[in-house]
Amino acid sequence: MTGDEKKFIKLINEHQGLIHKVCIMYEGDRDVRNDLFQEIVLQLWRSFNSFRGESKITTWMYRIALNTAISGYRKQTRNIKTEDLNEMHFNISEQYGGDEEEENVQKLQWAIRQLSDIERAMVMMALEEISYDEIAETIGITQNNVRVRMNRIREKLRRIMSAQHGN
Amino acid sequence: MEIEDLKDIWKKQSEGFKPKDETELAAMLKVRSRSIVARLKRNVWLELVFTFLGAFALLSYALTLPEGSLKWTSISIPVLFAIYSLYYVKKLRLLNRFESANDNLKANLRRLTLDLKGYLKFYRRSYSFLYPGYFFLLLLFTAIEHGAAGFVDKMARPEILITLLLGAGLFFIISTWLTTWYLKKLFGNHLEKLEGLLRELESER
Repeated sequence: MTGDEKKFIKLINEHQGLIHKVCIMYEGDRDVRNDLFQEIVLQLWRSFNSFRGESKITTWMYRIALNTAISGYRKQTRNIKTEDLNEMHFNISEQYGGDEEEENVQKLQWAIRQLSDIERAMVMMALEEISYDEIAETIGITQNNVRVRMNRIREKLRRIMSAQHGN
Repeated sequence: MEIEDLKDIWKKQSEGFKPKDETELAAMLKVRSRSIVARLKRNVWLELVFTFLGAFALLSYALTLPEGSLKWTSISIPVLFAIYSLYYVKKLRLLNRFESANDNLKANLRRLTLDLKGYLKFYRRSYSFLYPGYFFLLLLFTAIEHGAAGFVDKMARPEILITLLLGAGLFFIISTWLTTWYLKKLFGNHLEKLEGLLRELESER
C-alpha cells in the first residue's frame, strides 16, 4: 500500500459514517447502498490528489459523495413508485412493532425520501449540524437561499410527518 | 416537528452502522467504477477494440483475394473502420470531461447537463453522416461489381431511380429514428433528471 493510499484509507475510516449516511439518504436497498458506498469511495480516491485544502475536508467529501449519489450513478434496481413508498410506510409499523426508536428512524427515513434529491442533501446536512455556510458551499447557492429553502423543507417535512402520524 | 427534534432520531440510525475495516476499504480502491461515465467509456473501448479486430481480420482476408471488386470492397471497409476510430477517440475525449465530481452540486449539474447534451449531439450527428456514407458505399460497390457502364444504364431507368430514392429516404428515416430512440432509452431519463435538479437549484425560491 502506498503512502497516499494509507492516508486516504485513514481519512475514509474516520469519516465513513458520512458516506454511510449519504447512501442511506439515496438508496433504500441494502445491496445497491453497498455499491453506492463503494462508488463514492472510488470517486473520493480519484479526487484525493486534487484536494488542496481550500475547503474543509468534510465539505469536499460531501460534495463528491452527493454528486456521485445524485448525478453520477445510475440505479440498477427499478425505480420505486409512489405506491411502493406508501406500502413501505405502512409496513414500517408492523415491522418494528416493538422497537419505537427503530420505528422512528425508519419513519424519518421514509419522510425524507419524499423530498427531492436536493432537499434530501440539505436536510441531511442540517441534521448532521453542518453550518449554513458549509451547506451553501456544498450545494452552490447563497447562505440566504439555504435559509429560505430550509424553512420550506422544514414545513414540508412537518406536513409529511403529521400525515404519517395521522395514518 | 422541528429539525432539532429530528436530530436525535437521526443520530440513532448511526448506531446500527457497522464500519468497514481498512482491508475492506483498501479493496474498494481496486474495483472497477460503476458510474455511468465509466460504463460508457468501457463500452467505447470495447467498440474500438472490435473495430480494430474486425478491420485487421478483413484486411488479412482481402490480401488473400485475387484482384477484383471483392478485394477492393474488402480493403475499403477496414479503411473506413480506421477513419471511424477517430470517432471513438472523440467520444472518449468527450467522456473524459464528465469525470470530475469536485464542483459544488449546482456547478456539477450544470457541467454534466451541458456535457451530456454535447455528447448526445455528437452521437446523433456522427450517425447522420455515417448512414448516408454507408449508402454511398453500397452504391459504389454495386457500380464496381456491375461495371461502370452497366451501373449508369441501370441508374438511368426511372423505376430503379425512384426505388433507390425511396429506399434511401426510408433507410435514413428509420436509422435516424432508431438512433434517437436508442439515445433516449440510454440517457433520456438521466438527462431529464439532471435538468430537473438544475431547474430546482436555479429557481430563486
